[in-house]
Amino acid sequence: MSEAIAIQKVKPGLQSSLATRRMLTHGFIFLSLVLAWEFASRAGLLDPLFFPRPSDIIASIIRIYITQGNVWYHLYVSLGLVLAGFIAGSILGIFLGSLVGFSALVRRFIKPYVIVLEATPRIAVAPLLIAALGFGANSKIAIIMLVCFFAPFINTLSGVVNVNEEKLELLQSLGASKFQIFRKLVLPEAVPVIMAGERLALTAALSGVLVAEFIQRDQGIGALILTYTRNLNMASAFACIFTLTLIGFLIFRGMEWLDRKIAFWNHEEGMTRVSAKRRERWLRRRRS
Amino acid sequence: MSIEPDNNIDVAEQGSVVDRTLPESSMLKRALPHFLLFAALISVWEFAVRAGLINSIMVPQPSAIGAAIIDLYFIEGTIYKHFFITLTEAVVGFVIGAGIAVALALGSSLSELFKRYISPYAIVMNVTPAIALTPVIIAWFGYGIGSKIALAAVISFFPVYVNTLTGLIQTDQQREELFRSLGASQMQIFRKLRIPLALPLFFAGLKIGLTTALIGAVVAEFAQATDGIGVLMSRFSFQLNMGASIAALLSMTVIGLILFYSMEFLDNRLVFWKREKRRTAVSRARARAWK
Repeated sequence: MSEAIAIQKVKPGLQSSLATRRMLTHGFIFLSLVLAWEFASRAGLLDPLFFPRPSDIIASIIRIYITQGNVWYHLYVSLGLVLAGFIAGSILGIFLGSLVGFSALVRRFIKPYVIVLEATPRIAVAPLLIAALGFGANSKIAIIMLVCFFAPFINTLSGVVNVNEEKLELLQSLGASKFQIFRKLVLPEAVPVIMAGERLALTAALSGVLVAEFIQRDQGIGALILTYTRNLNMASAFACIFTLTLIGFLIFRGMEWLDRKIAFWNHEEGMTRVSAKRRERWLRRRRS
Repeated sequence: MSIEPDNNIDVAEQGSVVDRTLPESSMLKRALPHFLLFAALISVWEFAVRAGLINSIMVPQPSAIGAAIIDLYFIEGTIYKHFFITLTEAVVGFVIGAGIAVALALGSSLSELFKRYISPYAIVMNVTPAIALTPVIIAWFGYGIGSKIALAAVISFFPVYVNTLTGLIQTDQQREELFRSLGASQMQIFRKLRIPLALPLFFAGLKIGLTTALIGAVVAEFAQATDGIGVLMSRFSFQLNMGASIAALLSMTVIGLILFYSMEFLDNRLVFWKREKRRTAVSRARARAWK
């Protein structure tokens, strides 16, 4: 017993030192890549017009964020549109998905249209929407909604449809009502799938706003990248793209966090946390 | 943050609406209600536009779309060139992107070290919306077909990479032990166990990759091009010739369907053991050949 504890005590320290060593190696490789790039560019092997130097990119990041500070406005515009379109599109998707999911008849008739829609690149509808709704925020939000709609729709549909037969039969034989079956079986099984769809949708929303801005060329981070590239100011264009990488990373992590919070029963540590909380509440109620 | 199980959610859990509980009956009987519904929808739409309930500039009537399709495909016949250009861009880009992805995934599955040092870059590539690179790629590869192929390759890389890698590194402990105890070599385990295990996920990745490759080609065409369905579509849209624009959009759907079903066909052929019918057919053929 004491041996086991001793081993456990040693292990984390060992692991963390291994982790730091790995991080150092990663950092070392990254730095040498960046340095090689910088020197290749300075030595004239890479054309700085097309492959901007790392030092130029850093200078651009400082300029667009601090000295000139022009990126904030465009970020604000783009992310506002992303949020609006994402919320509207995914709510519509979840709503229609659950509506269609509950009726086998509707599902059968809607299936061919879903297949056709799935094969069409949704983003390709962008010029049509711009022509129909005009330039400006309306058509951009419509494009994002369209791009966001599909993944939550399909995932809600499949989450509601693919219910575990055996569990369903068990609940039915125990005399569960329709609402109870929905509340205790369908919903818990569908939510993780829906969350996966939401994650796809939010990523798609970011791409959607970029395409809308590339076409409209007025404002927003997509238009900014386009302008910088047109002026062959590649360093600034890359600075914007790295901003998008950061946003993409935050979206990824944020959705992961949300998934752990909402669909806690799908994660070990969320399950322990919530069941401990419930146990405490139950004990307190029993004491009083 | 490792790239295997976690990222895989967005590829593996993409739902499906295929409903297998429907009873099998004759094709015609099943197709008829669908057809009636379609006709009813189309006629309601047509009359709504004609009666002035819907603005015909924003939403053209079906007959206008039909006329535009006939015009584009049969009378003028201008669309074929654009059709094949877009199809080529998507397919060539996909082949390049998926080829690199498979090579890197193979390397990552064979060497732990390779995987460890390549995974941070793969993650960075994954979280960056690849579409953001459109203007940069156009600056690099020019206004021609090259930039469209490059964007299609970049955008289709990641789904293929993640799915192939996930497929290759998943292990089936029991089967592997069985293989070992029967004295299989490392090569045989890879060839007979690892690859068949990886194939279904690999094909799922290829399907997603192909769809995204088409998106990449079209978006690059929107940004800057002279030929292709994307150009045709944005040109018609900005002329407010919505009928023709929707006709072009529908031909994009056709491209999407062609790509998807050719992949589905390959999947059916190669991963035959996942489908009952194909499995029996293949095992019968093999039994006959063995005799």
